[in-house]
Amino acid sequence: MNHDINIKKLRLNCFRQSKEDGKFMLQMRVPGGFVEAKYLSMIRHISETWGDGNFHFGTRQTFDICGIPYENIPAVNAYLKDYIEEVDEQLCQVNMDQVAGVPAEWDRRGGYPTIGARNISACIGDYHCICGNINTFALARRLEKLIFPSHYHIKINISGCPNDCNKAHLCDFGIIGCAKIDYHPERCIGCGLCAKMCEHGATRVLSLNEKNGKIDKDPCCCVGCGECVKACPAGAWTRNPKQFYKVILGGRTGRQTPRTGKMFLNWATEDVIAGVLGNWQKFSAWVMDYKPEYLHGGHLIDRAGYKKFKEIILEGVELNPECLVAEDIFWHETEYRSNFNVKPLSAHHTAGPQPEGTHAH
Amino acid sequence: MGFRIEAGLADEILRELKKSYQIYAPKRFPGQGRFAETDLIRYDEVSALSEIVFDEKSDYPAKEVITPIQQAIFYFTEEEYRASRGKSKPILLFARPCDINAQRVQAKIYAGNGGYEDLYYTRMRERVKFVLMECPGGDDTCFCASMGTNRTDDYGMAVRPDGAGGLLAEVRDEELLPYFSQAPAADFTPAFVTENETAVTPPEIPDKETLLKLKAHPVWQEFNGRCISCGACTLACSTCTCFTTRDVVYGDNPEVGERRRVSASCQVEGFSDMAGGHSFRPTAGDRMRYKILHKFHDYKARFGDMHMCVGCGRCTSRCPAYISVTATVAKVNAAVAEIRGALGQ
Repeated sequence: MNHDINIKKLRLNCFRQSKEDGKFMLQMRVPGGFVEAKYLSMIRHISETWGDGNFHFGTRQTFDICGIPYENIPAVNAYLKDYIEEVDEQLCQVNMDQVAGVPAEWDRRGGYPTIGARNISACIGDYHCICGNINTFALARRLEKLIFPSHYHIKINISGCPNDCNKAHLCDFGIIGCAKIDYHPERCIGCGLCAKMCEHGATRVLSLNEKNGKIDKDPCCCVGCGECVKACPAGAWTRNPKQFYKVILGGRTGRQTPRTGKMFLNWATEDVIAGVLGNWQKFSAWVMDYKPEYLHGGHLIDRAGYKKFKEIILEGVELNPECLVAEDIFWHETEYRSNFNVKPLSAHHTAGPQPEGTHAH
Repeated sequence: MGFRIEAGLADEILRELKKSYQIYAPKRFPGQGRFAETDLIRYDEVSALSEIVFDEKSDYPAKEVITPIQQAIFYFTEEEYRASRGKSKPILLFARPCDINAQRVQAKIYAGNGGYEDLYYTRMRERVKFVLMECPGGDDTCFCASMGTNRTDDYGMAVRPDGAGGLLAEVRDEELLPYFSQAPAADFTPAFVTENETAVTPPEIPDKETLLKLKAHPVWQEFNGRCISCGACTLACSTCTCFTTRDVVYGDNPEVGERRRVSASCQVEGFSDMAGGHSFRPTAGDRMRYKILHKFHDYKARFGDMHMCVGCGRCTSRCPAYISVTATVAKVNAAVAEIRGALGQ
């Protein structure tokens, strides 16, 4: 077929090119991977009216509707108006009339304005899970407005507990709900079940002190999962009502240098997380010299270097007293090609403001 | 005497009472439940009526006030020792009928068993006056009516929330009456639950042969795969009394320290371990059998008057493995019927 389609523009509009000629796949944002079931009827309508009758759960918890012919895209975008308004504008209080903080009127019948900031994915968290420490959906909805709409790329995965079912270790900015655990020794019967569970399923920081029949804890290595709370028959361990998070930074998959993320923040509060992500646009803009291009978030950290990242991302953020910050991060990458980073200086990427007339690679 | 007590006056009365009494009641601990963002309701000292949870059953029983999970029983220095003194201030203990009836059972075990009275139990029990919390009906784990523990007259005063933040109260204790001089009189006597959503028929085990066959019956084996032996049921139990002792030395001198009494659980592995390594109840099924038969047969066989279980249902509510005590008793009844049938009874 003879097409003349700007596929880059369509990608920014959240329509992905298909191997099938002239067809596209819509990716609908579902912040936290959680919306009312009533929207399934919209998915069905889009798929059966304009698509191929199927849908896929996107790997980032988007509703993916494939087999949409190019000519149907305007109708799909017009239909998306209600969904985007209800889910992003109303539920997440996203200001749709801006992109990365710069005013830009949103065409309400034009579908998604950007694809850079990816859908925030989340496990089901303490909405359902007996292990969850936090409400992952509430957090996803709070963070959505900080990163979207924006052409700057970031992948955020939220896990309700350190079991990390939602793979905070494999995205740019992984958030893990953690609990500080209070011990009430007067309620402890010294059965040692918490120590067994900690050894079995966590970091082995608890041990039964045979001298006093109470539990000794190595607080430095407690991962904050809450398995001890779950195990205790007497309520001797309870979650501190203040909720905390770890941030796992710079994880990624990919064709070049996949790697697991490393801990950036430990015992940060939700306000700190929101403060840090509030600086994400500024950091990305600085690295790319205010010229957004299609580049994954983790690579921006690589280009700036962790210490520069830390400087910009923590600007104006008031850390809670418990919060610990990585002084340095040493990622361990899989280099599919050995000495991947060793190349002529002229081939190196730049970061930050560049002289007039030049441009970052 | 019956009274109607407005919210403000109720707190004033509580403040006055606190000068002479420690007041314990079920209290909500936000976020301290087993799972994130769930609450725990357990006994603690209270200062205001609004702190007292009337409409939900507490997760842990009232017995925690009288037989605390941990208490010092004596202190030692070289060859000298002295018993812990305990406090003397009387206690007002808000409790539902099941929790109050549970004290008949605890008293039997601590102070009516083998001709020995347990000092630590008795001195605490003597301090307690019950404030009966009229039970609004419990939940689907409750079966007090089946166990005959739905009623009690062991209370110094009885209360029902009036729905407007205040109370209706019946005050029977002469020492408490003066505190209510400002409250207008009202007709009030507490009502009692007469039936529960769930009913239980304790097993009829007529002879030792049936009992021995029940002990060996496969009904218990189910729990080897289901019960995780955590002991949450016995900690939540209104009547369980088992404890162990722990000697704690204060520093590097092993001759100075204290002996503590700490709750123990027959469900926790190792509870029945003997010197030499023998264990009477090595499997979770064995331990479940021991608990169920103690609550629904053995205790009554020894003491005669009533079963040990008061039907509060907290063991069911707290079990992390969803083992229901009422369903378990039903299974035991089926096993007993099968055994008696085979014996031609």
